[in-house]
Amino acid sequence: MGFLNVVVIFLLACGLFFFFAGAVGILRFPDFYSRLHPAGKLDTMGLFTSMIAMALWVAHEWHLGDILTALKILLIVAFVFITSPTATHAIVDAGVRAGLLPWTKDSSEDKS
Amino acid sequence: MRFLALITILMVGGLLFYGTPDFPAWGDPESPASLHVSPYYIEHAVEDTAVPNIVTAVLADYRGYDTMFETAVIFSAGIACLFLLRIYRRKSTTTRLYRHNLTGITLRIAKGGKLPEGSAEFERIDSLWVPYDMIIKVTSRLVVPFVQLFALYVIAHGHHSPGGGFQGGVIFGAAIILYAISNDLRRAFRRLNEKAALLASAAGVLLYAGTGLMCLLLGGNFLDYSKLADLLYTDAIMARSHGILIVEIGVGLAVMAVMVSLYYNLSSAGRHDEGL
Repeated sequence: MGFLNVVVIFLLACGLFFFFAGAVGILRFPDFYSRLHPAGKLDTMGLFTSMIAMALWVAHEWHLGDILTALKILLIVAFVFITSPTATHAIVDAGVRAGLLPWTKDSSEDKS
Repeated sequence: MRFLALITILMVGGLLFYGTPDFPAWGDPESPASLHVSPYYIEHAVEDTAVPNIVTAVLADYRGYDTMFETAVIFSAGIACLFLLRIYRRKSTTTRLYRHNLTGITLRIAKGGKLPEGSAEFERIDSLWVPYDMIIKVTSRLVVPFVQLFALYVIAHGHHSPGGGFQGGVIFGAAIILYAISNDLRRAFRRLNEKAALLASAAGVLLYAGTGLMCLLLGGNFLDYSKLADLLYTDAIMARSHGILIVEIGVGLAVMAVMVSLYYNLSSAGRHDEGL
């Protein structure tokens, strides 16, 4: 029980770290494309670790109902793993089609 | 005229503010609603209707009229959007675009030319047509069946968990809209065309109201599902539970069809070609 607590807390802390880093990245990166990078990757990873922690926490007593709930949580993880990168891909695609050029060091020096 | 309207609005608003303090306090256990209305539902919902989720029992059974007219409101919203946006008169285009699916070559066929209509190799496209993105298309093909399955689960499981016709219908509509976004509108029309969507939205409301009318014909009040017991081969209590399921299916059908028809009209500004 104590060991499981440690694992769950560690995973939740990892999830919070990934979400926080993702938020910082969205705010701090210079342009549209590089901002989508933390938005797509770190949100998926943060959701993965925190959801695994929740599934472990729910299913720690090995009741059938709890295991079913944990399986549903794992299903959420699976679908987010499929859909979230696709959504990021679609947004990047829309940006390319709209003609937005990626940021380079030269383009930032031109503006300032 | 505008000044008169402002005066009226200010007076009505003032009256509303004047009446507000007479309401019972938020969450007051002594208020009439908490003393006379809620306890009955909380104590009798399960033995009256055999539905563990009290919200569903109140929504579709005790206050069935309310939900029926909510469905009618959604239906009329869809119809209003159709009347406002739909453009039936086509711009007389002189050319039509056809795409050869195997090679990706686009043919521009002038008026009077022979159209490859009904051919499996050619597909009619619009001038705003965008090439399919394989990643998006494959992912949506993977996800759409699960979304639809989940929508049916939400509709059918409304008796026991949060859910019901409105939520399930919206999820089902979202699945079809996802298909329409990831492919194009013409392909979505092949799955669910405009006429079918409108018929389904009307059929959903009709299913709800028809269930109520059936109860009336069998000698009960309007929407008194316990009178359906003989039709459904159950006792009066389970009949109310099944009656709730029937009207939830009606609500889900109407909401799904209205969502899809709203998307068709809004995304193409009523022209039903590739608008987005």
